[in-house]
Amino acid sequence: MSKSAGFMRALKCRECGREYPLEATHVCEFDFGPLEVAYDYGKIKKSMTKAALAKRPQTMWRFRELLPVAGEPTVGTRVGYTPLVKADRLAKWLGVREAWVKNDAVNYPTLSFKDRVVSVALSRAKELGFETVACASTGNLANSVAANAASAGLDAFVFIPADLEEGKILNSLVYGARVVGIRGHYDEVNRLCAEIAGKYGWAFVNVNMRPYYAEGSKSMAYEIAEQLNWKLPQHTVVPMASGSLLTKIHKGYQELIQLGLAKDSKPTVHGAQATGCSPISAAYKQGMDFFKPVKPDTIAKSLAIGTPADGFYALKVMKETGGASDDVNDDEIREAMSALAECEGIFTETAGGVTVGTAKKLVASGKIPAEDSVVLCVTGNGLKTLDAVQGHVGKPAGIKPSLREFEELMEKDGKVKSK
Amino acid sequence: MAAKKKAARKAKRKTKARKTARLWLMFPPKLITQPVVWELSQKFPVITNVRQASVTDEIGLVCLELDGLADDVKKAITWLGRKGVSVEPVEINVIES
Repeated sequence: MSKSAGFMRALKCRECGREYPLEATHVCEFDFGPLEVAYDYGKIKKSMTKAALAKRPQTMWRFRELLPVAGEPTVGTRVGYTPLVKADRLAKWLGVREAWVKNDAVNYPTLSFKDRVVSVALSRAKELGFETVACASTGNLANSVAANAASAGLDAFVFIPADLEEGKILNSLVYGARVVGIRGHYDEVNRLCAEIAGKYGWAFVNVNMRPYYAEGSKSMAYEIAEQLNWKLPQHTVVPMASGSLLTKIHKGYQELIQLGLAKDSKPTVHGAQATGCSPISAAYKQGMDFFKPVKPDTIAKSLAIGTPADGFYALKVMKETGGASDDVNDDEIREAMSALAECEGIFTETAGGVTVGTAKKLVASGKIPAEDSVVLCVTGNGLKTLDAVQGHVGKPAGIKPSLREFEELMEKDGKVKSK
Repeated sequence: MAAKKKAARKAKRKTKARKTARLWLMFPPKLITQPVVWELSQKFPVITNVRQASVTDEIGLVCLELDGLADDVKKAITWLGRKGVSVEPVEINVIES
């Protein structure tokens, strides 16, 4: 383990506040609450000034004091700093004055926001002396662990439910990761993965490395603030699976306020879910602090977590910031994916459709006032979920190699512009 | 013969192996008033240790440590599932997208 802790102070229980050494551990021994990284903000304030930031490369690591590595990052050094796109045409579709899209669909190297959390987890894993990394995943996380581990020369194990679609498996196998398909019910697979993580001395990114891993999500918040010239957005709409991303975006904004890098303009954070898996949104609508577990049934597979580990904390953040939560069905998800693609030229996976569709609902219900500005977090690329839109976006017109046939087609279409 | 003996020794070790499971139990409304944890400790020779709990009209949440022989812990978890209690590891959702 690195002797220096960098800008980190300790791991701290989110329930009881007990502190632990900065090791590969994730649960409080007293109450089994989740552990989170605590920082030395006094030290960070002296190092992370706007002038210092301006000279740094445009990756998420420009905010490295606020990311949990002791030394310089060693894995995924080019991750992040994805475009924040001013989306005027989408704003009209949403019915709001101003909209921005934080586009992690083009994050490097595996086209999803998971590259942020994985590069942090693997950089920290290397500092702690691990040579093998692992994860249990059905999609983006597996791809990111496999790719980033390959580039870092680490061995990678990826655990998946045995019935996962072949396309998703290929995206991990291609990087040379050891992929293990587990037969059985989802709950059994989930419990076995936790058991394997406990038994083998690997860096399991979303288990024993979780306190470090989850912090990577904060970089999205720092980038949004800096790209808005250090103004925090009035509203941010975040997709929710476990709920972790939403809580970390909130934490990121609060840290910038604490460090004096952004003014406290009371940013509101809203959560988006798919109706077919909406335990957090349902709890919000019923005014409950806890969610009820559900069996997922949605095309938004990357958000299909029926028992969200951070659901309780996500509900708390929305309550504290005056945010709201809503959900959209499969048709609304596809419609929103098309709207984002047709208005802004951004093809998102189904989770992005959930964010955009939910934002529209929140504007319609007045939870996001029409005269306000909103940032939408798009977390993955549409090329990963082609099956979700297959048969729903029309078909190409077919003609013979004849100008006459083409002109007939244009006449029939009737929408052709002369220039 | 030697292989048979080795397998028998392995099986014996397996049944004798102890295990501690850290779990979140989620009780649906119909089970909230039932003494499920007590019943569990009567049915299986496992040590139950509640570490956190929250009970409302809508849901009962219990963070439970289960300690015992690996087979007994496994059987106890299966029984809870059949009873209608949702049993998650303490990390809750280990499988992510």
